[in-house]
Amino acid sequence: MSYLWIKAFHLAAAMTWIGGMLLLSVVLMALASSGPGADRNMHLIRMARTWDARVTTPAMLIVWVLGLVMALQAGWFSAPWLWVKLVIVVILSAMHGIQSGTLRRLAGDPSRSPPAFLRLAAPAVVAAVVAIAILAITKPL
Amino acid sequence: MSGDYIDQRHVEGAQLRRMRLVSLFEGTTLVVLVGVAVPLKHLAGYPTATAIMGPIHGVAFLIYVWMVINTVSGGDWTKGEILRLLAAAFIPFGAFMNVRFLRQREEALAVPVGTADETRL
Repeated sequence: MSYLWIKAFHLAAAMTWIGGMLLLSVVLMALASSGPGADRNMHLIRMARTWDARVTTPAMLIVWVLGLVMALQAGWFSAPWLWVKLVIVVILSAMHGIQSGTLRRLAGDPSRSPPAFLRLAAPAVVAAVVAIAILAITKPL
Repeated sequence: MSGDYIDQRHVEGAQLRRMRLVSLFEGTTLVVLVGVAVPLKHLAGYPTATAIMGPIHGVAFLIYVWMVINTVSGGDWTKGEILRLLAAAFIPFGAFMNVRFLRQREEALAVPVGTADETRL
């Protein structure tokens, strides 16, 4: 598969992944503000979990695999910008794992509350995306 | 909305089964990389083996670490247990030892309601 095709699917998967993470961020913020044990919309939690399992998480895997293929093909592993980008992607992935696990816990135990730091997830995701876009397009380092 | 509530034990049990599968996958790729690909490169002069297995294990490792983060975020895990899960990814055959640990935890979920163990999850 040519570089441009891989790049196209990598970008499509990245947009899907980030969209899913923002969705999780908003859902978890809404659940945190409703308070533990409140009359939570369990149907919303279930829908968000289903979307995460069927769309967001596979999109993240595609981002990793195609990103790795592109970096290997282009010989970017010696470039500092790629390593900075990789660190940000790993942090984003970890945040996604925490969001996904937290939602699973809330699905079974509505008396719990999401961790407080997840309230900052949405702005953190947006900041990470801006940094990644700058690094990937301008390759400043 | 009460009909929408999900059995926590069922959800955690499913997560632990997925974690076991990922653990096996990660462990297998590490063993193939260290036990097959690296000797092929250095003893038989066949570097393609590591060029293929290296990235595959890299992705398997990322999936494993992601699954650990996901799993511990959804359940009550001690720091020692989390460290054990993470350390296993760096040791050849460590992931296979993990499988037994995860199975034990999964079996603890099946303990009848009213016993002390149920309070852990």
